Parts: sequence; C-alpha cells; structure tokens
Amino acid sequence: MTGTPVIAVDDVHKTFKRRVHALRGVTMRVHDGEIFGLLGPNGAGKSTLVKILMTVIRPTRLGGTLLGRPVGHKPTLSQVGYLPEHHRFPKYLRAEEVLDYFAALCSVPKRDRRIRIGEMLELVGMSEWRRHRVGEFSKGMLQRIGIAQAMMNDPKVLLLDEPTDGVDPVGRREIRDLLIRLRAQGRTIFINSHLLSELEMVCDRVAIMVKGRVSMEGTIDDLTADSQRYEITATGPAPELPGEVTVQSLEDNLVKLCLPGTSPKSVQPIIDRLRAADSTIHSVKPVRESLEDLFMRAIDETGPGAATPGAVMGRRPEGDA
Amino acid sequence: MIAVMGILMDSYRSLKAQKLFKTVLVLSLLVIVGYASFGFNEDGLSLFFGAVQIENDYFKAGTPLATTLYMGIFSAFIVSLWLGWVATVLALISTSSIYPQFLSQGSVELVMSKPIRRTTMFIAKYVGGLLFVILQVGLFCLGAFLVVGWRVGEWNPSIFLAVPLVTIFFSYLFCINTLVGVATRSTLVALLFTLLFWFMTFGVRTADDVLHTFQFQAEGMVATAEQHLESDQAQLASFRQELTVLEDSGSESGREYYQAQVLRMEASVAATETQLQNRRDALDQLKPWATALSVIRWPLPETQRTIGLLQRWVDQGRSVTMNDILSGRFMEEEEERWDGGDARADDGDGARERRQSRREQRRAAESRMMDREENISPAAIIGWSLVFELVILVLAWWVFVRRDY
Repeated sequence: MTGTPVIAVDDVHKTFKRRVHALRGVTMRVHDGEIFGLLGPNGAGKSTLVKILMTVIRPTRLGGTLLGRPVGHKPTLSQVGYLPEHHRFPKYLRAEEVLDYFAALCSVPKRDRRIRIGEMLELVGMSEWRRHRVGEFSKGMLQRIGIAQAMMNDPKVLLLDEPTDGVDPVGRREIRDLLIRLRAQGRTIFINSHLLSELEMVCDRVAIMVKGRVSMEGTIDDLTADSQRYEITATGPAPELPGEVTVQSLEDNLVKLCLPGTSPKSVQPIIDRLRAADSTIHSVKPVRESLEDLFMRAIDETGPGAATPGAVMGRRPEGDA
Repeated sequence: MIAVMGILMDSYRSLKAQKLFKTVLVLSLLVIVGYASFGFNEDGLSLFFGAVQIENDYFKAGTPLATTLYMGIFSAFIVSLWLGWVATVLALISTSSIYPQFLSQGSVELVMSKPIRRTTMFIAKYVGGLLFVILQVGLFCLGAFLVVGWRVGEWNPSIFLAVPLVTIFFSYLFCINTLVGVATRSTLVALLFTLLFWFMTFGVRTADDVLHTFQFQAEGMVATAEQHLESDQAQLASFRQELTVLEDSGSESGREYYQAQVLRMEASVAATETQLQNRRDALDQLKPWATALSVIRWPLPETQRTIGLLQRWVDQGRSVTMNDILSGRFMEEEEERWDGGDARADDGDGARERRQSRREQRRAAESRMMDREENISPAAIIGWSLVFELVILVLAWWVFVRRDY
C-alpha cells in the first residue's frame, strides 16, 4: 500500500489495574486515504487502542504518530473525528445542539458551526430531526448523529468504533456509501467493527487483533491469497487426479474437488479428465477465503481464550476492547 | 476559548433543562414577593401589602431604623436561611450530577477525545457548576434590590455582594461534591458526602462555639474565685495581725472577737480554695476539648461566617445595626439619647445611673462574646476557606486528569 501513514503506532502496551494486559505490543500502520478495518473478538484490545489514539486512555508504553504528530498531542485531535462505541449524548440537547457543542469543543468558529450543522445533518439524513431532543431518538438515529458529530470539525481522519451498531440494513448501506464518499474526498477512515461482511465490502486493508496483539495485517486479497482456489462439484465415476487436488464427498453422490491457485488455465486439465471419465460437472467456481474465515483462522492460530481475561471477567473500563 | 464557551453553554443548557432549576427560580420569586409584601408607613409596619397594620413608634416609613430592619431581614434571614440553606441544598441536588454525568461511560469518550486539555475541561465544568448559584442568586438579588428601593427608598448596591458571597460559600461545598463525583462517578454518593461534610462542619463549628463559651465562662468564674480568695486571705491576715497585737499587749478586750473572726475567715479561705480548685479542674477538663475542636475547625471552610460577612457589610456605616435591633439595644440607645438630652429623665433617685451601669455591664459582656467573631477579618474567613477549597480541587483535578476513561 502506498501513501503516508496517517496512523503509525509501534509497540503499544497497556496494562490496567490488577495486571490486565489489554495491549501487548501493537504495531500498525494506517495510510492516507484508505479505509482501514480493525477486527478482533471482544476483549482483543481494539477499543483500548482507539482510546489511546484519542487520549481517552493513557498508554503504559507507546511509540507512534497520528497525522505526523506524537500520539497524545491534543491540538492534532482537531483534525480527527471520533465516534465511540455505545456513545451517549446529553439527553437535554437537540440534534443541532449536540453538533454545536462537540464542534465547539473542537474550537470550530460559530459561523462555521452554523453552516456545518445543516450540512452534516443533511449528510446523515437527519435534517428533519434538527430541533428534536436526542433523548427521543432511536439507536440508529443516535448513530447517525454520532457520525455527524465526528464530522463537524471537517476531519482528515475518522475513527469509528462500531459505526453500524444498532442501525437497520438500509441505514447500514447508507453508512457504507457515506464511508466510500468520504474516502473519495481523501479522508482516512479507521473502523472497529464486528460486522465482518460490512468491513469486507468497504475496507482497503484490515488488521486482526487477538489477545492484545495484531496477528494479521494487510489487504484482504493479500491475506487470503494462500486460500484462493477453484472448487468443482461433480457426480459420477472419479478419474485419477493430481496430488494437489483434494476430494471431499458431499450428499447425493456429489464430490467436491479443490484445486489451489488462481489461474483458470490450471483448472482446464481437471475438467478434461472429469469429462473423459464421463463425470457430470455441476459447478466450477473460483473461491477465496472470506473475511470471516480469515478472522476465525486468526483466532484459531492464537489458541483458546482469544479475549483478555479482564474483558471476559468484565473488569475492563470499556465495553468492547 | 471557543471550547471553554462551549462547555459553559452546555452547562447553561443543562441547568435550563432541569425542572429543579425552574422550581428554585419560582420559589425564589415567592420569597421575594413575600419580602415585598412587608413595608412601613407613617403608623408603623404594614404586612401582606397593607392587609395587616401594626402600629409601632420605632419603625416608621423614612426612619433609619426601618431601613436597617428591612435590609437586615434580607441579609440576616433571607440570605442566611433561604440562600444559605434551602437554596443551597437544592443547588447541590441540581449540580451533584455534573461530574458523574460528564464522566459516565459513552459520554466521557466524546469529550476527552476533543482537542481540549483535561485541566481546561475540569475548570470550565467547575465554573459551569457555579453558574447555577450565580444565576439564581443574581436574579434573586436583583429582585431584592428593586423591592428594597421600592419599600424603603434605599437603592443599595451592597445587596449584590450576596452574589459573590453565596457563590463562594457554595463553592466550599461544591469542591467536595466535585472530588467525590470525580472519584466515584456517582451522583448519589457525591451528594451524600457533600451533605455529610456540610453537617459535619456545622456540628464542629457549633460545638466549638459552645465549648468556647463554656471556657470563657469558666475562666470568668476562676477569676472571680481568685479575687474572693485574695480578699479572704487579706481579711484573714488583717484579723490575725489585730489578734497578735492584742496578745502582745496582754489585753483581753476584743481578743475573743478576733479569735472568732480568724476561725471564720480560715474556714472561708479553705472553702474558697476548694471552690477555686474545683473551678480550675473544670477548666482544665474543658480546655483540651476546646483546643481539639479548634484544631479540627481550623482547616475546615467557614461556611456560615462567609455568609455572615454580608451582614457586616450591610451594617457598615449605620448608627443602629441589625444586631442592635435583634438584641433590643436600639431602644436603650433611644433611652440614652433621651436621658442625656432631657433633665426630666433624672428622677433624682439615681435611676439614670443605675440604667447606665446596667447598659455598660451588658455591653461589656456582649462585646466579649462577640470579640472572637469580629476579630476574624473577612480576608481570613474567605482566604482560609479558599485554601481548603483549592486543596480539595487539586485532589479532584489530579484524579480527573490522571484517570483512564
């Protein structure tokens, strides 16, 4: 991946009280203009990492930069938008007041705030709810307002923790489209999410965190390259096949043949052999490991108890990390 | 600055949204209306906007006494009781949630992730909490200012001194609220601790005052007993000398009388010595407790003394103070003026001298009682209390900025 790292962290450690090791040396790069997905089971340390980047949590050890400045440099945060998981807005505020308040905390001048409130509410489809108190809003509406508040300071980087949490399928699609539009504007987006299928659709690169460490990082294509193969399903007599082809019996006398590789040419001789043996070919398809498969593989490789003990026992100060 | 204004604006919106804020405003309005319903005319006092008339020779429209009484009711009762107790409890209930809400999960991440330093955030939030009192007391004083001007014709801006005084007084309690709120993130615990602290300071202060009064009385009694002993010993020595002279001269005349007197005085001296010893023992028992309470009281904020400063300042420059009215002394001063100015007041049997002597004795006693309070300067009262507040706030700030959220 080309581009300047917008987020570059090296050897991040965080140990909470009672010796709960949330992060055990995280190293990661997020490049300019990409959508980066951070995956991991509950308690893997994802939210802790984001909170450290946003100065909500103090790291035990940290080396790294955010937008070229050391992590923890407060003024840099004026160029960063953040949507925390399970965020709560003061219920007495109206939608426009929420945006005004959080933009003011980013020192956005009043005149700009007025303009951006309208723009952001329009962007997240909440214009008609402008004067309603957020206490009346559904989870999905709050999530939209949350994204709007994260955008109020016109950030270069957006860190979104479970942005589609509680949002219906239509809303999720809208948020996905919004993220793609934001990327097209040159913004960098960092997403924490459990919804692997959502991430798979929008992320340029992903990292998988398990037990406070990054176990995999790269583009989905790179990470799944080893798993790419062709699958052929057929019935009838089985011909003699090369050793790299694995055969698996299915129901109704079906067999599934798996041939590693991505080249269509390599599958032609196998098809020829099947036809010569008078087998009936039902399907031929290129197959790639899904993000979910990749995720499960990362957890399996790390071994049992992928979440940190603190999170499992509910001792951590965060919901998801 | 924009961020600080944003936090203050949010504090204002938060207060505005609270039913309790509006309730206190309405109650304050009722108190002001009640205050306005009372006034003076040529015959004396009028209550309930003239529905009840009380004839009085001292308090009439246009007299300095009437003005002092009207201002004194504001400073000694309305500020002390309404603003200093009831409105303060309501303000504490309203503001106890400020830090716990601010630091609750889901809310704290949103603000801590903004480009504003935690210290700035902490201070702005604290000032935002004091806004409740500043707004409430400011509006209340404006009402009182208009009522006093309308009722007694005195447009007295010193009324507005209640705004900083009550705010400072409230801040002594609010700092405890802040510390506990930041440490526990629980509204209820913060409120409970603050009220307990307030009652504790009240208890310590009251106990200290009572014990010191006892100590002063005991010291007075010891001094009196010492004087009696000295006098008895002098008399005994005198009788013994007379007796020795008689014995030396060999005269029998009067010897029996002086022997009896010596015996009587010896018994009296012994009894006075026992009494003196008992009083000294009582004083010795009292002193360590009084000292201990003074030590305990020393670092605590002076809540009531701070509120009491308003009375001092309002009374400044007046010939008759609210204390004179409450103690009835103003009538003596009226008599004194009358006694001094009119020869008919001297009825010839020394009544004027006796009245004068009684007045002086009472004033001396009152003066001694009040000396302890009045000798403490406003700077000392507020200064020490603010030092206490600062220490507590530094602790709260330390927890606030060092914590992981």
